[in-house]
Formats: sequence, C-alpha cells, structure tokens
Amino acid sequence: MFRQHEEQPARHPEALRLVSVRKVYGSGARAADAQQSTRAAQAENQVTALDGVSLSLPAGSFTAVMGPSGSGKSTLLQCAAGLDQPSSGVVVVDGAELVGGSETELTKFRRQRIGFVFQQFNLLPTLTVLQNVTLPLRLAGRRVDRQAAVRVLEEVGLGERLGYRPAELSGGQQQRVAIARALVTNPRVLFGDEPTGALDTRSARIVLDLLRRAVRDYGQTVVMVTHDPVAASYADSVLFLADGRLAGRLERPTAEAVAERMAHLGDEVLAAPAPGQSYGGSGGPWQPVNQGV
Amino acid sequence: MFTLALRSLRFRVGAFAASFLSTLLGATVLMSFASMLDTAAGDHVDAASEETLGTMATVVGGWGLLLVVFAVSSTLTLAVRQRAQEMALLKSVGATPAQLRRMVVGEALVVSTSAALLAVAPAMLGGRGLLAVLKETGQVNEEIDYAFGATGLSMGLGITFAAAVLAAFLGARRATAMRARDALTDAQLANPPMGLARRIGAVLLLLVGASQGVVTMTVMNGEGSDAMQTAGTASITFALGLALLAPLLVRTVGAVLTAPLRWFAGTSGYLTAHNVRRRTQQLANALMPVILFTGISFGTLYMQAVENDATDAAGLTKSTEDKNIELLNFVVIGMIALFACIMLINTLVATTTFRTREFGQQRLVGATPGQVLGTVGLEGLVLACSGIGFGSLAGLVTLIPFTIARTDRVVPDVGPAMYGGIVAVALLVTLASCVLTARRSLRTPAMEVVSAA
Ligand SMILES: Nc1ncnc2c1ncn2[C@@H]1O[C@H](COP(=O)(O)OP(=O)(O)OP(=O)(O)O)[C@@H](O)[C@H]1O
Ligand SMILES: [Mg+2]
Repeated sequence: MFRQHEEQPARHPEALRLVSVRKVYGSGARAADAQQSTRAAQAENQVTALDGVSLSLPAGSFTAVMGPSGSGKSTLLQCAAGLDQPSSGVVVVDGAELVGGSETELTKFRRQRIGFVFQQFNLLPTLTVLQNVTLPLRLAGRRVDRQAAVRVLEEVGLGERLGYRPAELSGGQQQRVAIARALVTNPRVLFGDEPTGALDTRSARIVLDLLRRAVRDYGQTVVMVTHDPVAASYADSVLFLADGRLAGRLERPTAEAVAERMAHLGDEVLAAPAPGQSYGGSGGPWQPVNQGV
Repeated sequence: MFTLALRSLRFRVGAFAASFLSTLLGATVLMSFASMLDTAAGDHVDAASEETLGTMATVVGGWGLLLVVFAVSSTLTLAVRQRAQEMALLKSVGATPAQLRRMVVGEALVVSTSAALLAVAPAMLGGRGLLAVLKETGQVNEEIDYAFGATGLSMGLGITFAAAVLAAFLGARRATAMRARDALTDAQLANPPMGLARRIGAVLLLLVGASQGVVTMTVMNGEGSDAMQTAGTASITFALGLALLAPLLVRTVGAVLTAPLRWFAGTSGYLTAHNVRRRTQQLANALMPVILFTGISFGTLYMQAVENDATDAAGLTKSTEDKNIELLNFVVIGMIALFACIMLINTLVATTTFRTREFGQQRLVGATPGQVLGTVGLEGLVLACSGIGFGSLAGLVTLIPFTIARTDRVVPDVGPAMYGGIVAVALLVTLASCVLTARRSLRTPAMEVVSAA
C-alpha cells in the first residue's frame, strides 16, 4: 500500500546518521542577510539550538523525539531532513551524506529521500486532495502513478475524498492527506514535527496508527517530534533532548515512563540551565505535557 | 479607531505606498492642469488663450478625476483586502463593522491628505512647465504669467479627498461585510461571481465603444481631424468594457490554455494552468491595467500617427488647434499609461507578496526556487499576453475606423515599432513585478515563511 511498485534500489540498513551536529542561530551567512531588526538583534545573542548531536537510526525504526520547548527538536528534525543546514557536523540519510549547497541542491536531495509532515499540514489550498498528493512526484519530474496515489489515499482512509480541497476537510483528514503526500514518493525517512499537535485525541490516534502501520507493515523509517507521552508511546524508542543535547533514550516506551522521564528532564533543565543558552521564545522553559490521546 | 488607523499605517507602509504614490501623482496632474484656470484669470489673457487654457484644465482635469478615482480605489481596495485576515481578527475580538469602516476611512484620509498636500509643489512646477510648452508652441499668448491659486488648490485637494473617501468606503464595505469565520479561512481564494451591474456596465461600454468606431467610419468619414473625437474615445471605452469583463476573460483564457500549458510547460505549466483557474479574481485585477495600458496607448498613439501622416500627405501645416489636440492626446494617454502601470505593479507586487506562504509550501513539498520562479514567470507571461491581446483588440476599435475615415486604407501605413514598444513595456512591467517580488520572497527560508503564519 504505502509502497510504489517501481523498482527500488536496496535500502541502506542505517536510515539516518547524525555526527556531532551543531546548529547556531544568529551567526554566519544567515545573520549577514538578516534584514529585520528582530533578526539583527538575534545576531547579537547567538543561540546554540543543537550542541553536538550524534545519533544513528536503523531502517524501519519508529523514533519519537521529546524535550522541553526550545530544546532544539524542530531544529534537529529540520537539519536531519535537509530543510536547514547544520552549522557543523555530518548528516547521512540512507547512506548518502547531505552536503551543504544551494536550496536547489538540498531540495533535490530531499525529493529522493525524505518525507516531512508538519504540525500545520501545509497542503496547497488551490489543489485537490489527489493533486496535493501527486504534486511531489510532478515537481520531481517523476512518473505520476495515479493508481498508486489513490491507493495510498485509500490506505489513509480518504479514498472517497480525492476531489476535495483542503479547506473542505477536517484537521485530522488534512493531516492524513499530508501523510499520504509524504509517503507517495517512497521516502527513506519520514519526519513529523508534532504531526498530532493540532489534532484532537481521536484524530491524533488515527494518525499515529497510520504511522505505526507504515513502520510495522512496510518497513518505513519514521522520526517524530511530539510533546505528548501517549503519542511517544507509539514509537519503538524515544530520544530526549535538552538544551540542544541528547539527554537520554527510552526503548519500548510506555506513556507513564515517558511522562516521568520528561518531568525529571524538566527539573534538571530548570535547575541548571546551560550558560549562554536561552530556552527559546516559543514558550516558557517548560511546557506542561499535554494530557490525552 | 483613529489611533488604530495611524498605528496600522505606520506598520504597513508598504501596503499604502501604492495608494500614496498614485494619489500623489493624480493630485499633481490634477492641480497642474487645474492651475491653468487660475492662470487664465490673470492679465494679458486674450480670448483664444483663455479658451486653450480652459480646455486643457477641463479635459485633462476630467480624465484626471476619473483616473484618480480608479487608481486610488483599486490600490486602497487592495490594501484593505490584503488585510481581510487582520480585519477578521479585529472582528473576532469585538470590533464592530462600523468601527472597522471608520478605521479604513481614517487611513484613507491620512494617506490622501498627506499625498495631496505634498503634491502642491510638484503641481506648481508641472503647471509652469505646461504653460511654457503652450507658449512655445504658440498656443497661448507669450505674456501670460503662471498662477497657482484657489481654483487649482481646491480642485486638486477636493477631488483627491473625495475620491479617496469614496474608494475607502467601497473597500471597507467589502472587507467588513465578510463574516469573521469566512475571512479567517482563506479569504484570498474567494472567486466571487461577477455582479450583474458589472456585467451590464461592461456590455454597455463595449457597445458604446464599438458604436463610436462605427460612427468614425461612417458619419465622420471625410470629416478630417474631427474624426479623432469619436475614434479616440472608442478604444478607451472599449478597453474599459473589456477591463470590467476581466474575470470572465481570465476564465476563458484559463480554459483555452489549460491543455497546452500542461502539455508543453511541464510542472510549471501544470501549476500555472491550475492557478489561472483558481485565482481568477487576483489575475483579473492584474489583467485590467494591462488591457487599459495596451488598448489606450496603442489606439491613441497610432491614431495620432495616422493623423500626422494624413496632414502631411494633404500638404497642410498644423493649426494651433491641431497642436492642442496632439498635446492633449499625449498627456491623456501618458497619464493613463502611467496610472495603469502603477496599478499593475501594485496589484502584482501585493498579490505575489501575499503568496509567500504558498511558495514556501511548494518549496517544502519539493519545488526548487527555479520551479517556483518558473511558475510565477509563466503566469506573468500568460497574464501579459492575454492583456496585450485584449488590449490590442480595443486599440483596433480606434485604429481601423480612424484609418478608414482619414485615409483610403484599412490598415494604417505606420510601422510596427511603436506597437513593439508598447508590448515590450507591458511584458517587462508584468514579468519584472511578479518575478522580482517572488524572488525576494524566496530569500526567506521556506520553514520560516510557513511557520510565521
Ligand atoms: N530561525 C531561528 N532563528 C533564531 N533562533 C531560532 C530559530 N529557530 C529556533 N531558534 C532557537 O533555537 C532554539 C531551539 O528551537 P526549536 O524550534 O528547535 O525548539 P523546539 O524544541 O522545537 O521547541 P518547541 O517544542 O517549542 O517547538 C530555541 O532557543 C529557539 O529560540
Ligand atoms: Mg518545535
């Protein structure tokens, strides 16, 4: 279902590897072309969002990334997915190193290997459900296999809504379209940045089940950021991030174990913030864990 | 609400720049010509000079009025509509429609008053220059002194003011009539059907334009330069009619071009075909100025060229009145062309900027910057070419009848160079506005653009 029946080159056993990845905001080229005063001001006080993260994820694994707000989860995901470039360090996806380059080069790298699901869906409002799903193939100049796209949409439970526009769907349905769109290119790694963050409990569960099924049944590799211990418990393992560093790992997580670990992580971070680091403007140093799902 | 208006002005200088600029230009032109009335009231003015000055003031002033209303209302309406979401937010926190209307009208008042006051100095210079040209060509008495007085000032300020307030009321009514929820869910995509009044107006204008063409060919045939009166307005009226029909024209173009675009232009063509059909309203707003620009400059410039050739061929020299008419023709089309360009640039820059998020989403799905620019460029090309096509049609409504009336030919014996120039300007302005704006919006990383909203 999630697979296209095209000939697949063999997969690398290691889907994702990060070596000493650092990301410093407010420095280098980005600061130079900063135009807005807010960004110029940020150039003054640099933020180390990722501080030497190394990790290795095998193909077919389902990993959740957790950590306090501002700990660098989104930054980690974007660097690993080629949406942003690390300040230093190495990112290897499916055996291919992501080497820095123009946006065009990064885009071409991503097209071959990466699917991304966002909290805010990011479906194109003028396109129908089916058109949204086939768009990545068109953009990549690949053959558009309509049947395959329809099959993926059927698999996510939207076979009846092919001609709908995003505005005519609920949030949960839109996120399922986004997942179908990410899967249709048959990516080596599927990333999700709080994919259930904007959904109610029931829709979130459907989305998480879909992701788990993609991993279990079809060997898809999934990396998902979440704030929700229950969502994290769908994964095979949880990586904890604090202050831009890996701060622990939990295998075969349960929601309770995750929540407990997060509470301690919050304590540690509150007690001893690393010098020169901010906890991010998005929230307080620590946001209460969402209950539910 | 007035403080709110001031504050929103300060934070949205860009959105109001076009309104400000077109008001400034409009008020300058208006007052330059209106000051001819002040000048005519001075010493050393003989009857002929007075008549020339009066004609200048009223003919150009009349056109200026129309243009100011048109340009100010279109730029202001756009500035208001771009903020449908902000309006909706204000509404959802309890602002009443009346409060919002007061805010929008307040903004318009500040913009138009400052623009009109700033226009006084350039208008004095402009008026002086105009008088110098009139003297040089011997159309008015050498001794006349330039005057800028109450008439020029009050006409300029009054008209600009009235136009701005009227435009603001119309724009605000639309924006505030929207229910809060509708505005919050993708106000941009609305493709409202054309109103009945608009359809009727369009058909009437087309009919009047066409009949002016017919009158030129029949009644005015052999009447010499007088044929310019009916011929000149024919293309203007016809172009206005087509401009009103713009949404329909965009839909037609979209339907016709869908297949070839998909076939020949790859992914960009696919997206372009899509956008042309889904973003009818925005494209129509941009199509209008292209039609007006092309139609009116093509019609008027070629008509004047045919007229000059015909005068030469008859071995005549130009009378003062001929020179008057020629100058007026050039001033009027110059003004219209300038306003059309401002409107075009404003519309394209605003709508393209508004699509920054959409571009970001395309980039995240795997569109390279080149593909985004390619799609935007292709859309611009479709837009410019359809505008040029329809505009040329309007121009022909002047040109063919006038050539028949004035010469023994149907197709005028004037080279294609001027037409090439008009086409080049239309293409260049359209493509540069959208592609450069899109390029600027691509400079921000896609993630940032998408999560900012
Ligand atoms: N574009 C940017 N420019 C400057 N600083 C940034 C930028 N994006 C993120 N940061 C900073 O980097 C740090 C990590 O941010 P990141 O978005 O990765 O956190 P997060 O763990 O995803 O937080 P949340 O749970 O709130 O989404 C924060 O201190 C944030 O302020
Ligand atoms: Mg985040």
